[in-house]
Amino acid sequence: MYLITLFEDMGKIFVKYWDLFLIEGLTATILLSLMTVVFGTVFGAVLALVKIGRIKVLKWIVNAVVEVIRGTPMLLQLYISTFLIPVIIPAMNELENKKLICISLTLILNSAAYVSEIIRSGIEAVDKGQTEAARSLGLNGTTTMTNIVLPQAVKNILPALGNEFITVIKETSLASTFYVGELMTTYHIIVGKTHNSLPILMIIGIVYFILNFVLSKALGAFERRMKAHA
Amino acid sequence: MLNINNIYKNFEDLKVLKGVSTEIKEGEVVSIIGASGSGKSTLLRCMNLLEVPTFGEVWMEGKLLTPVDPYLHREVIEASNTYKKLVAGGIAPDEAIAKIKAEDLLNEKFSSAEGKEYKALIKKIYNENHLDINLARQKMGMVFQQFNLFNNKTVKENIMLAPIKTRTEKIKKAKIENALTKCLNLFRKEKKPLVEITETKAQIVAEAEAKAIELLKRIGLEEKADVYPSTLSGGQKQRIAIVRALAMNPDVMLFDEPTSALDPEMIGEVLDLMKDLAKEGMTMVIVTHEMGFAREVSDRVLFVDEGYIKEDASPEEIFRNPQDPRLKDFLSKVL
Repeated sequence: MYLITLFEDMGKIFVKYWDLFLIEGLTATILLSLMTVVFGTVFGAVLALVKIGRIKVLKWIVNAVVEVIRGTPMLLQLYISTFLIPVIIPAMNELENKKLICISLTLILNSAAYVSEIIRSGIEAVDKGQTEAARSLGLNGTTTMTNIVLPQAVKNILPALGNEFITVIKETSLASTFYVGELMTTYHIIVGKTHNSLPILMIIGIVYFILNFVLSKALGAFERRMKAHA
Repeated sequence: MLNINNIYKNFEDLKVLKGVSTEIKEGEVVSIIGASGSGKSTLLRCMNLLEVPTFGEVWMEGKLLTPVDPYLHREVIEASNTYKKLVAGGIAPDEAIAKIKAEDLLNEKFSSAEGKEYKALIKKIYNENHLDINLARQKMGMVFQQFNLFNNKTVKENIMLAPIKTRTEKIKKAKIENALTKCLNLFRKEKKPLVEITETKAQIVAEAEAKAIELLKRIGLEEKADVYPSTLSGGQKQRIAIVRALAMNPDVMLFDEPTSALDPEMIGEVLDLMKDLAKEGMTMVIVTHEMGFAREVSDRVLFVDEGYIKEDASPEEIFRNPQDPRLKDFLSKVL
């Protein structure tokens, strides 16, 4: 009996607040994740280059930062950054959406740490003989990297990067603790009006699931196509 | 052509080469034989600095490829503070030099400890003789055991890549240089001339392509020009790897066990191509386990063992009348 009421409530709430879920919440989640992955990838690529590079001091710093980020919970990092960043950069306090900026920065840095590992291992997985052959022909390090190593590394990197995107989509839900308007935040908004938690959570769960399921299937198809061409 | 001068190579604590010297003359075919782990591949890889020697110098056509090794230059040792101290202490000059060499007394890590004169002399020798390693490698082809064709390029692109890139980079460099001179010329009374750029990128690509097709025809694989390496047999891959190196018109070719990863029925085609090269007068250094081949094509055979060249002689002497007991033992096992 209770299940039927649950489904009825889910239907009613969805019909009434569908725009909050699908337009505001979902869009914000996708935008936030997309931004995180794009900037995270760019920043992560820089970190990866430092990691495989030759400057020991930079290498050491980057490794330390990455280990700290990977070794502490995301939620903790979000809390710390919302307090810490405004202290470090006082000008932030005057901005209207300072919370969103702090959270975006944390998400990006967090993602960059993971992406840097993905890219580093992707580059290192390319057979050393490829580099040696290129260098033995008299090509310099940069030409070897851009013409031989990176094109082959991309094949290792892209699938893992897709998985990172899915992880980030789920992780942005943690940002709801700070009411930044993504999908999970809509729960807090709607529950304040209806005082009925479960149906809302179920709807949000379904939206997340469909989004990630479609994405992972698309990635799988993409990966198969890439393998067929290799 | 190639001068290997007192090369040492350590990997961490493992001493692979312990003072190897030899000379490869122009047009000479030299085979390097020895047991697995004897250091023969390392010796070959030190010749084009894929492994940088820990000590010692490599010279190609009168140009220095490695950093200066102070122990190989008497005048450098004589300029050092260590030597001056020893001589001031009453030791004869020749003895002092012998002592420094034997006991590794020069402070190479903190070269300022050896005085300004010493540092300046090393710098001078380096600047006078040094050749950029990328330029040197363009004249030194290398063929690997695992072929190492570029997986992301077609056969033709594999062959064309290095000739195109090395030449277009020269153009790029010249253009940047010219832009700089033009800017500076605005402030100069006497205008500096610009570097002349005689070739265009299209020309370079066309030439490289013609050369690639010609080389593929030579090995009878022109119909494979547009396929990716993953579809080829080992023998085909290795022959393409050889012509890829030839596309740079090298002065010397280094072969690192070129037939060791091949199925037996494909070894012949690769060895035949190498024999042709030898006949044409290409200078070749070949690390190999194919004793019959080494005996047939080599002008000289080096037996490497325990990090030393134990025997250096003509193939006749090495195979008919080996002197070193380790070589006798080795030959009795492989022949």
